[in-house]
Amino acid sequence: MADFLTLGFLQRALVAAALTGGLCSAIGVFVVLRGLAFIGAGTAHAAFAGVALAYLIGAPVMPLAVAFGLSTAWITGLLEERGRMKLDVSIGIFYTATMALAILFIGLMKTYNAEVYGYLFGSILSVTSEELMLTAGLAVLVVGSIVLFSKEFFFLAFDQEMAEASGVPARRFFFLLLTLVALTIVVSLKTVGAILVFALLLIPAATAYQLTSSLHRMMQYSVGIGTLVSVIGVLLSFQFDLPSGPAIVLLATGVFFLAVAFSPKRAPKPALS
Amino acid sequence: MAQPYPTHTHPHHADHHHGEPLIRFNHATFSYSHGPALEDITLEIADGEFIGVIGPNGSGKTTLLRAILGLMPPSKGSLQIFDCACQELRCHHRARIGYLPQKRFVDPYFPITVREAVLMGRSGAIGLWRWPGATDREIARQALEDVGMASFEDHPLGALSGGQQQRIFIARALAQHPQILLLDEPTTGIDTPTQHNVLDLIRRLHHELHLTIVLVSHDINLIAPLAERLALLKTRLYALGTAKEVLTKETLAQVYGPQIQTTDTGHVIVADHHHP
Repeated sequence: MADFLTLGFLQRALVAAALTGGLCSAIGVFVVLRGLAFIGAGTAHAAFAGVALAYLIGAPVMPLAVAFGLSTAWITGLLEERGRMKLDVSIGIFYTATMALAILFIGLMKTYNAEVYGYLFGSILSVTSEELMLTAGLAVLVVGSIVLFSKEFFFLAFDQEMAEASGVPARRFFFLLLTLVALTIVVSLKTVGAILVFALLLIPAATAYQLTSSLHRMMQYSVGIGTLVSVIGVLLSFQFDLPSGPAIVLLATGVFFLAVAFSPKRAPKPALS
Repeated sequence: MAQPYPTHTHPHHADHHHGEPLIRFNHATFSYSHGPALEDITLEIADGEFIGVIGPNGSGKTTLLRAILGLMPPSKGSLQIFDCACQELRCHHRARIGYLPQKRFVDPYFPITVREAVLMGRSGAIGLWRWPGATDREIARQALEDVGMASFEDHPLGALSGGQQQRIFIARALAQHPQILLLDEPTTGIDTPTQHNVLDLIRRLHHELHLTIVLVSHDINLIAPLAERLALLKTRLYALGTAKEVLTKETLAQVYGPQIQTTDTGHVIVADHHHP
């Protein structure tokens, strides 16, 4: 195995896997605790529509993916805040509308473009050095924000109303969180793809949720699990010639079920008095 | 790191006498889209005072607390808190107001320890760009000691009983080192012996820490012996004064209607009263 680790494309793939795995699982903690799972799914599909439009009109991919992803995250966030419509309904509408846009943009292309499908299913083994630098830059931005504002994000995840009442500008942090979720998704499109990025946001955090009763340990476990399954998933996909995205997600799912089976939270406890 | 306070000393501790008004409602009306929840409220609450707020369901009790938190500006009249119009209440002002909302369901599996939950109360006081330091952890530990839960610091919050969780949330509000403590139905959903423990704790905190307390309760008998003044609400402020002045048969009948009875011992019985 040591020999193939010297291959340049595999080295880039492993670094990209570690970065996106760690990044998705860090922001995923707040997605799981704050109940934003479907905002993540809607944002991923919207970002893909941005990618498809970029290829259609020959524009740079990232700005359009960010614009589509961010606007979807913010609009669904506003709808949740105002409570005018049930969140699952409004996200369901966005989810399908943005996917319809993506299919429309692809349909309008004169020729078949395999690169677009790379953003749908992920193609981590073809990550370029430039894409890796961009991923690393955004990873620093997102992780830096999480570290800097961890106390505000944790409070928000536990009880947003109390956070507001206690002097935390909770609304601003809610929208900052949505922004970070959208950026994380856009960064991860190339590596795991629009369909599977949702799984990487949820599964490591949900696995960590099973294993601890502490917020800070949940973050540590989630990042550890997310990074490890992403790196091991890439190695497995290379070794057994499997698509990398599904290898990562199915490995993470296996670890999740193991965590559920052996979760200390499921063990019967004597009541505290 | 936040401004350190000497251990075992609350920053607002002082001799127990009432100071200047901290909260001033002046003909204030607070409305939701369906109409006013509170109308033409004029009320002053002095520094160090303990005021109980009573009234039937939907009378605007929780709205009164939300208004003091600056979460609901008046549609008419004015509300001043710490000499600042409530619309201009900034985060550092809110950090001086401790709030215990109505008891809500805590997911027993939510991954949070008692220490983490209480430290959250320091967030407003610490401010942005900073992390909790040793002083904040000491303040949180002291708050837990104040509510008699210091030995539970490392326990998962979800594993505690309803009464214990309520104590933890009071500790979280105390960790803010508040000047004003707002309590919304602090005894609802917990058993009777624990109710008395929680009320004893609130009484002690008022006396020892000289906190200004606004306590909302649907249980008149529980709150009457505790509060220095009672405010009786039913959208409007119907009565304000000592328990003896407010809990008269006439006033209660006017607000609660025929569903209320007063026994010879002064015990108030509200019939058909459903409360969450």
